[in-house]
Amino acid sequence: MNAPPIQRLVTELAKLPGIGNRTAQRLAFHILRADPQEAYALADAIREVKERIGLCEVCFNLAEGPRCRICLDERRDPSIICVVEEPNDVIPIERTHEFPGRYHVLGGALSPIDGVDPEDLKIAQLYARVAEGGIREVVLATNPTTTGEATALHIAEGLRERAPDVTVTRLASGLPVGADLEYADEVTLGRAFAGRRAV
Amino acid sequence: MIVTRVRLRDFRSYAQAELALGEGLTVLHGRNGAGKTNLLEALYFGCTGRSCRTSNERELVRFGASATRVEIDARDDDGPHSLSVGFQPGEAKRLRADGAPVDRLVDVAARPLVSVFLPDRLELVKGAPALRRAHMDQLVAALWPARAATRRAYTSALAQRNALLGRIRAGRASRASLPAWDAEVARHGIALRDDRAAAVELVREGFATLAGELGLAGEPELRFRPRSRAATAEELAAELAERTDADLERGFTGHGPHRDDLLLARDGRDLRAYGSQGEQRIALLALLLAEREALAQARGAPPLLLLDDVMSELDPERRERLAARIARHGQSVVTTTDLAHVPGAADPGVARVAVADGALRPDTPAPAWEAA
Repeated sequence: MNAPPIQRLVTELAKLPGIGNRTAQRLAFHILRADPQEAYALADAIREVKERIGLCEVCFNLAEGPRCRICLDERRDPSIICVVEEPNDVIPIERTHEFPGRYHVLGGALSPIDGVDPEDLKIAQLYARVAEGGIREVVLATNPTTTGEATALHIAEGLRERAPDVTVTRLASGLPVGADLEYADEVTLGRAFAGRRAV
Repeated sequence: MIVTRVRLRDFRSYAQAELALGEGLTVLHGRNGAGKTNLLEALYFGCTGRSCRTSNERELVRFGASATRVEIDARDDDGPHSLSVGFQPGEAKRLRADGAPVDRLVDVAARPLVSVFLPDRLELVKGAPALRRAHMDQLVAALWPARAATRRAYTSALAQRNALLGRIRAGRASRASLPAWDAEVARHGIALRDDRAAAVELVREGFATLAGELGLAGEPELRFRPRSRAATAEELAAELAERTDADLERGFTGHGPHRDDLLLARDGRDLRAYGSQGEQRIALLALLLAEREALAQARGAPPLLLLDDVMSELDPERRERLAARIARHGQSVVTTTDLAHVPGAADPGVARVAVADGALRPDTPAPAWEAA
C-alpha cells in the first residue's frame, strides 16, 4: 500500500481520460523521482491553465480573459456564426483557413440519456446573439452522430421560428479528399452517395 | 467464400478437434449426445463471434477449462483467409480476422456468411416479434453491409427519445427538443423500414416456393408488416408527434419500426398462432433456404448452411427435395443420427464424418485442397 499522498496523486491521475490505474502509478512514481523543479512546473501549469483560461463571454470558446482571440479579431466576419459542440472542434476548422466568420461553442450535444437538455447547452445564448441582429448565416457544424444531428435539427427549428431571415446551413459529410474509394468505410461512403450531386 | 477447416479447443464437449469441410455437403453422423450440434455451433461461433444457441456464453467453455478458442480457415477468389475467436468468461472476446484484431467479426468484409437451422430456432417463428425484426436486420446487413449502421443509428436515436420522454414525464425536461428527436428517429426509422421491406421482397417468392416444396399445404406466404405506412421521414415524424401524449403516458415510444413484424402464414393464417410444430419447422427451413438463395444472387456466393437434425422429421419424398435444394449450390453441413436419412450421403463429393465421444473420424478422404 502506498503512503496516502502518493495514493492521492495516483487517484487524481487515474481520473484523466485514457489513464488507467497502472499508468497512473507509473506517472506518480515518475513525478516522485523527478526534479522538484520539474514537478512544480507541472503543478504550476495546471494551476495557471485553470486560473487564466475561461470561456469567452460571447462565443464560449476557450479564452484568456473575457473574450477569445477570434471574437477579438476585427478581421473576422461577425455576420457568419459556425456552431460547434466543443472548443476542440474549433481547431480543425481554423486549420482550414476557409472559415472567415466567428464561432459559437455549445458545450456538448443534446443527449437525454445523459441528462443533457437544451438548457444545459449555450443554445439560448446563440439565439440571443442572433436576435441582436447583423447575422446573415449560421453554419451548424455539430458532429454527424445521432446526438449531433438532433442538436442541429433542434437549433435549426429554433432559428427558423426566431429569425426566419437568417440562412441556416449544415456541413456536408462524405468522402475525405485524396482518399481512395476503396478505403472509405461503408457509412461514410453511404453518406457520400446520399449526398451526391450532378457535375 | 467457403470454409475449408475449423479447429476448436475446449469448446463444449470437445477438448480439441479439427475438421476439414467439403466444398459441397458435409454430413456429420453419430448417436444423440455425440457432439454434432456442438460442432455446428462452433462453426457459427468461429464465423460470427456469437453463439447461435445460448446467450450465456460461459456454457461454451468446456467443463473444467478456463477458455475456449475456435479458428476458421476460409478461402475465396483472393486466396486464403482466417478468423479466430478466443473467449474467456469475464473478459472481452479476442477476435481476429486474417491475423488482425477486430471489434466485431460481423463487420469484417472477408468473412463467410452463415445460415443456421437448429430446432431451438423455432422461436423465430413462434416467439416474439423482436426476434423476427433482429433476423430481418441481420438479413439486411448480410445483403447490404453498408446498411447495418441504420439499425444501430435507429436504436440509439430511439433510446434518446425514450430517455427524453421519461425526463419530460418526471418534470425534469421540457418538450422543446422533442421535435428534433422525432425527426432524428424518423430519419433512421424510414431507412430501416425500407431496408427491411426490400430484403423481405427479395425472399418472398422463394419462401412460397420452398415452403410448398417442403410440404406446407395451402398457400404459404411471407409478408413484411411495417408499423408505419409513412412515405417520408417527415410523415413518420408527424405520426410520432401526433402520438406524443400517449407516449408520455407510457414513458416510451409506441410507434415506429421497432414495432414492425414479419408474418409467416399459410392461407392467410399466422403460423405463429395457428401452425403446428411441423408446419413451423417447414416455414423456418423455407425462410432460411430462401434467404440463402437471395444472398447467393445478391452477393455471388451462398452462405454456409448449417442444418441440425432436420431430416428426421421429414418424410422420404421431402427429404429428397430438401437434399436436392441443398446440393444445388454452396457449402452445407448437415447433422443426422442415421446416414440413411440423408439422401445422397453416399455420393462421391460428399464428405462424411463420424462423431463420437468428442472425437471426429472422417469416413471420406480429406478434400482435394487439403493435399496441396
